[in-house]
Amino acid sequence: MVTVDIQLPGLLAQVGQGDTLTVDANTISGALDAIVEIRPTLALHLFDESGALREHVLCFHNGTNTRWLDDLDVPLVSGDSLLFMQAVSGG
Amino acid sequence: MNVRLIVGTAKGGFVIHSSDRQDWKIEGPIFKGWKVTTSARDRDGTFLVGTASDVYGSAIHRANDPLGEWKQANQSPQYPRDGGRKMNQIWRIVANGDSIYAGVDEAGLFRSTDGGDIWSPVAGLNEHATRGAWCPGAGGLCAHSILIDPTNPKRLWCGISAVGVFRSDDGGESWQAKNDGIPVILEDKDHPDIGYCVHGLVASPTDANRIYRQDHVGMFRSTDGGDHWERNEEGLPSGFGFPIAMDSQTETLFAAPQESDEYRLPKEGRLCICRSTDRGNRWEEMRDGLPTCHSYEGVLRGAMVTDHLDPCGVYFGTTSGSVYVSVDCGASWKSLPCRLPRVLCVDAYVDG
Repeated sequence: MVTVDIQLPGLLAQVGQGDTLTVDANTISGALDAIVEIRPTLALHLFDESGALREHVLCFHNGTNTRWLDDLDVPLVSGDSLLFMQAVSGG
Repeated sequence: MNVRLIVGTAKGGFVIHSSDRQDWKIEGPIFKGWKVTTSARDRDGTFLVGTASDVYGSAIHRANDPLGEWKQANQSPQYPRDGGRKMNQIWRIVANGDSIYAGVDEAGLFRSTDGGDIWSPVAGLNEHATRGAWCPGAGGLCAHSILIDPTNPKRLWCGISAVGVFRSDDGGESWQAKNDGIPVILEDKDHPDIGYCVHGLVASPTDANRIYRQDHVGMFRSTDGGDHWERNEEGLPSGFGFPIAMDSQTETLFAAPQESDEYRLPKEGRLCICRSTDRGNRWEEMRDGLPTCHSYEGVLRGAMVTDHLDPCGVYFGTTSGSVYVSVDCGASWKSLPCRLPRVLCVDAYVDG
């Protein structure tokens, strides 16, 4: 497993014990599991009742929107990062 | 004496406090950027709030001091995965002894018996025989009002917008619709006992059978625990409104009428609070200190509260972010020097 840096947006930082954390995982999917294992109270904020990322929660792997990926079983390498953002449209 | 108001808004919560109810200090925001939708305090003095976000969902948090450190409940109210229901908002938290109840949107009731850390669904209501026919109103499908008989905690009432009032006499195991005497607004062909749009409920502290109901179609009262309802709106400029509050010492009632369900604005642009000192028989308009014109701000269902002191303090927040205070049982009002985001809830806590 590799260590991955996780960055959270401001609203989640307030309820998620800070805006950064690190997890050990082999894949993006594994990292998502590790996040909620370390900080269980984040689960309901990141995932909806179907278990998918909430509709307006974006997750970027090294700058790539994970919604563009075919699946989340993407291998991670040391130094990778996951950035969560709130999808905002309109003004 | 210390009076603390937790004012929940669409963009955070504010703690407004005073030792004399004259000079008020405004602090916050707490949960900056989150909707703070309701608050409560349990028998141990722990504060609870409900937060919500259109992006990140809703949760319950607890703290010993509302301006101190909040900790999210380990298991906030949640619907089962792939059950087809969404947890959109915590609408009301009510603590009674060992049990704390939370009413939520999509409509349902949850209970905690460990001080608010772990929440479980109240299946008797959430899976009620009529559940498939529940339809949302303009404010969503929300279980927003919870009453508990102080002399018998097994007697519970829950109000759900566009569905109606339900009562349980067995601690939440089974529930019966209680809307006799209320005009139906959304009739269901299979379940004629639902389709009633309750907006708010309060009950007498000395007789839980005496319940006052701000409904979509008017102001009502029951003297038999909700078995029957009668209209009581003499003196009100309109029967339509959302909040209803009561001073528990005198059973004085407060309401915030609006001009019809179509407009949902203060009538003639005059923000108005109404008071009844005779159990709803007659209402009077209490306008001293409120804007006399060009005031089109509303008062949402959770945004008016009393402090139960003598004389009674009454507090409300508006959709335009104003907060008004009366420390003479509604006889006169003053606005606090703030313009907050849209006020969703106001709750008062007195110590000392």
